[in-house]
Amino acid sequence: MTTANRVDADGRATIKEIICDILEIDADEMTDTSRFKEDHEADSMGAIEILSQLERAFGIDIDQAELARMVNLEGVVTVVGEAVAAKAASH
Amino acid sequence: MSPLVLSAWSAVSAYGVGSAPFSEGINAGRSAVGTLDRTVYPGPFERGGLVPDFTAAEYVGRKGTRTMDRVTAIAVTAVGRLLASCDAEPARRPEQTALVLGTGSGSVQSIMDFTRDSLAGERPYHVDPARFPNTVMNRAAGQSAIWHGIKGPNTTVAGGWLTGLLALSYAVRLHRGGHCARVLCGAAEEYSTQRAWLEWHGRTAEERSAPLGEGSAVFLLEMPEDAAAAGRAPLARIRTTCFRAFGEQGEARAALAACVRDALETTGVAAGDVRLVAPLGAGGELAALEEAGVTDALGATDPRWIRCRPLLGDTSAASTSLQLAAVLAAAGESGLAPGEAALVTGIERDGTVGCALLTGA
Repeated sequence: MTTANRVDADGRATIKEIICDILEIDADEMTDTSRFKEDHEADSMGAIEILSQLERAFGIDIDQAELARMVNLEGVVTVVGEAVAAKAASH
Repeated sequence: MSPLVLSAWSAVSAYGVGSAPFSEGINAGRSAVGTLDRTVYPGPFERGGLVPDFTAAEYVGRKGTRTMDRVTAIAVTAVGRLLASCDAEPARRPEQTALVLGTGSGSVQSIMDFTRDSLAGERPYHVDPARFPNTVMNRAAGQSAIWHGIKGPNTTVAGGWLTGLLALSYAVRLHRGGHCARVLCGAAEEYSTQRAWLEWHGRTAEERSAPLGEGSAVFLLEMPEDAAAAGRAPLARIRTTCFRAFGEQGEARAALAACVRDALETTGVAAGDVRLVAPLGAGGELAALEEAGVTDALGATDPRWIRCRPLLGDTSAASTSLQLAAVLAAAGESGLAPGEAALVTGIERDGTVGCALLTGA
């Protein structure tokens, strides 16, 4: 099983909604690969907010080191998928 | 004595956003206290003086305000309107412009919500980090400066009902010490269910049901020559602020009378010149002691009394700043006339009294 399967379409929509809310942009401004910092003016505080809100929404733990991969929607979905898988494996 | 003049002001209040609706409401003596929407504001009060239809997104902007709390948005709005009323000129010399803002506890709603998230969430760190800055009491002052590019000294002052007078006193001292060329000074308070419960529990039975209010008033304090150079006509000169303490409640009257006499004597202003008095009017029995204390000091004169409290509700930390704004509203667009003086007073239930004495510039 690939980790991406851990995040279904609803989960992906939830992630996108959280990020767009934090970055104060409309959903149609963000693509799977548009970059938060370069394309959407995110700062380090925004990145921490995204991490924190995802932890709360999905009940997962994300190491801050993962921020390096959480640069666009695709990267975030991958990281969340892995965290969901890690949580499932620990139960 | 201070050489500083008040040359611009703005208000956000239950009358609406801006000095114009505030002036109209105060001069008409119209109460802005209304019925609270109990679905939005459950809690001990059914009535309150809220800024109508106020949201950060509406008045500050949609960008950057997602996590801005109410008191911060009210302060940012008030400071923004103050700057706009003087063509943003103070913001063009940002390092020499100080900002002194009074507050109660900051936003008790933000503080309580954040703490509850940490205690009740699955993990103690499952909080919204972007809301953490709202939990410190200097958030409103800091954001007001950052938002409008003000880079001089930034100070938060808290002192219950006397907050606005204490902020004014601090601002004058800051300028006297050479730390800035001009000061944006005032106070802000928000309505929230959390604050409502704190007030409810902190009050005595006799004043418990008095409705709360919210709002902000901010002022530009500058040297008369700077006002003249910028083409602003001074509205009033800040002559002095005085404070005293009292022990038993019954001593408040004498303490305030001594405070007002002191203000008159040190400035040489005659009691008969005081044409406007804006008392706090809070704290049940303290309200009567306050008016009696002022009357004791002024003697047989007949000033116009401007009583904000019945019109705006108990605006807590913003009270004395809104009273000062009410004096300027009553004085009109040309400000206090030469030879005319005004008094803003307050008694804080914790045992302090204070006043500010203004004259025509």
